[in-house]
Amino acid sequence: MTVPLVLCLIATVIPVFFSKISSAPSWLGLHALALGWITLHGEETLSLHTVLVGLEILLVRAILVPYLLRRALRRQPAARHNLMPSNLFTWIIAVVLIIFAFKFGDGARADARALTLGVVAASVVTAFLVLATNPEPKAQLVAVLFMENALALFETLMPVAWPLAVHLAISAVYLLTVGIGCWLVTETPVTASESAEISGEVP
Amino acid sequence: MSAAETTCITLAPGSARSSSSKAAYGLVAASLLFWVASVAVFLTHSLDELPLYFANRYLVLDPTSLLFVLVINTVFLGISVYMLARERSSERLARDIRSRAALTLLFMAVMNVGILLNHMILLWAFVEISTLCAAPLVARGDSPSPKASAWRYVLYSAMSLAITFLGFMCLSQSADLRGIEVNFLVDQLSFSLTMLKDGWQRLGLAFILFGLGSKLGLAPLYGWMPETYEAAPTSTSVLLAAVQYNISVVAVFRMLQIFHGFETGFVAQELLVMGYLSLIVAAVQIMAVRNYKRLIAYACVSSSGVIALGLSVGKAAAYGVVLYIVSNAFVKSLLFLTAGRLRAVYGTNETAPLGGVIRVMPFTGLLFTGGIFALLGFPPFASFLAEMLILSGIVQAGNLMAFTVMCVMLTIIFVSTGQAVFPMLWDPPSRSGPPVIESLVTVLPKMGFVVVLVMLGTYAPEPVTQLLRAVAASIAGV
Repeated sequence: MTVPLVLCLIATVIPVFFSKISSAPSWLGLHALALGWITLHGEETLSLHTVLVGLEILLVRAILVPYLLRRALRRQPAARHNLMPSNLFTWIIAVVLIIFAFKFGDGARADARALTLGVVAASVVTAFLVLATNPEPKAQLVAVLFMENALALFETLMPVAWPLAVHLAISAVYLLTVGIGCWLVTETPVTASESAEISGEVP
Repeated sequence: MSAAETTCITLAPGSARSSSSKAAYGLVAASLLFWVASVAVFLTHSLDELPLYFANRYLVLDPTSLLFVLVINTVFLGISVYMLARERSSERLARDIRSRAALTLLFMAVMNVGILLNHMILLWAFVEISTLCAAPLVARGDSPSPKASAWRYVLYSAMSLAITFLGFMCLSQSADLRGIEVNFLVDQLSFSLTMLKDGWQRLGLAFILFGLGSKLGLAPLYGWMPETYEAAPTSTSVLLAAVQYNISVVAVFRMLQIFHGFETGFVAQELLVMGYLSLIVAAVQIMAVRNYKRLIAYACVSSSGVIALGLSVGKAAAYGVVLYIVSNAFVKSLLFLTAGRLRAVYGTNETAPLGGVIRVMPFTGLLFTGGIFALLGFPPFASFLAEMLILSGIVQAGNLMAFTVMCVMLTIIFVSTGQAVFPMLWDPPSRSGPPVIESLVTVLPKMGFVVVLVMLGTYAPEPVTQLLRAVAASIAGV
């Protein structure tokens, strides 16, 4: 369990410190692969439920969403920017927040559960840090997606897996977030008719 | 004649027009179906039979879900009739109506199922899905950058719901440390709570209330509300203010029902602080605002503050709070729909260019005046009765600080709203020519909302009063 959790952590922390927005889909994919690994190895015997959930994670979170995000970021000038502004101040805050996140997990118990909770908390706080420090909508979208992946990782802490209906709803949230988010944050050239429409009346 | 009105006359070619009309009529038919179904359920099920569980206990019909399904479907009927009326006179809406109608229907389906949910994580997901369904509708507004406004709306929602989810994580952690298996079904979750002082449980509750409070527009995370309500097209503003708002109310009610008898003082304190902050923020902003749509949006923030204060005192004000929430849905619908009509005729959301509305558009002017009086809590509207009940509950609970803050802030809001709105209604007309002719279809939904507001404020039928009482009793454990 430790290896995929460490992979999850790497996929969350490295892009925040060193990566451009354009490479975020790959990190999200890696995050999801690690999540799938944790889910499929979470139980001693593979039940149909676990297989379905694992497949959902691999297909939606590891393949489809990174693909959609990569397509949306293609030819976007803002995608060349850093995910989080690279300066000592934000780096120090990020490191402190990650340490606090693991303290938060440790307060519970010093085992795999504590590590998982630490990774979830670290993912959420770094996502919030990106939201707070980067006004670029594309970076914000990536942060929201990391946050939602972290929430999915939280499920592995539950003694009994969530029912499929809950999985489907959470997957729908993730897919809709990436679909609608990409549409909203992608710049499209404004045509003459669109600009005329903007100045027209709205019911 | 304004540019807006000029476009009202230029309509789309015949076939396109007929197809768009079909979409508008289809939306009205669907909303009528939703409304008839919800009224039928209300009439055929006595409160003694409730709760009824469906779909492996994922859905529940109890007084809370029944009341809010009724409210949102009544509002939806009004919105769809308004859209039908506007589609006839607005070229842009006529062009957009198919996609707008489809998204609105999807949104309403999500809302109806969401309100019936008996599982907190699913309810959480449905609140987020409803936001994602509404975002493309918000992006059709006429603000300088509607997509940016819609994105900020999605972002705020994602953040506040992530905070709520952190709350669920903490509750799960709390249960796990005590060796208890947590079940997020509304009627099961309370079994994993403890009466003892538990940091994780308290942290979870704090996160959940803070996150859901943000969805209600409670300070400090209220910023999305005025911006989104102003930027969105009128029908979408109503959907957000009077429909989506209520699924967040249901989520808060579910938490209060789950925490019935647990962490009472803590819940009250958190709601009290958010209520104070929201009332103060709304009063200050309303003093400065000169845009009638934004003014209504800030009034929504103040209403959320009143609700939070009412909920914080518990049993004494519970009935008042429920009545206030129901009346608020109709007040906001009435105000936003009349504001949309003003926007269509005058082409602006600013109050300064408008004058003599009551003479230029007699029906709309009167309805807007009625809506403002209802918003400010005047008799005979239900909001008057509700505010009195909440204030009396606060006094009974002995919280004179809350009573004073609420009275002072509502007075400031009253004076500031009057200063901004009454000149626009009563001053000499800023627009020459005969009064604008308003069709019955345009006025009908708003008249319906006024009738409901007066009825709830004067003589509500016994089954409705019983339903309100049952919901109040379910949340009164705080």
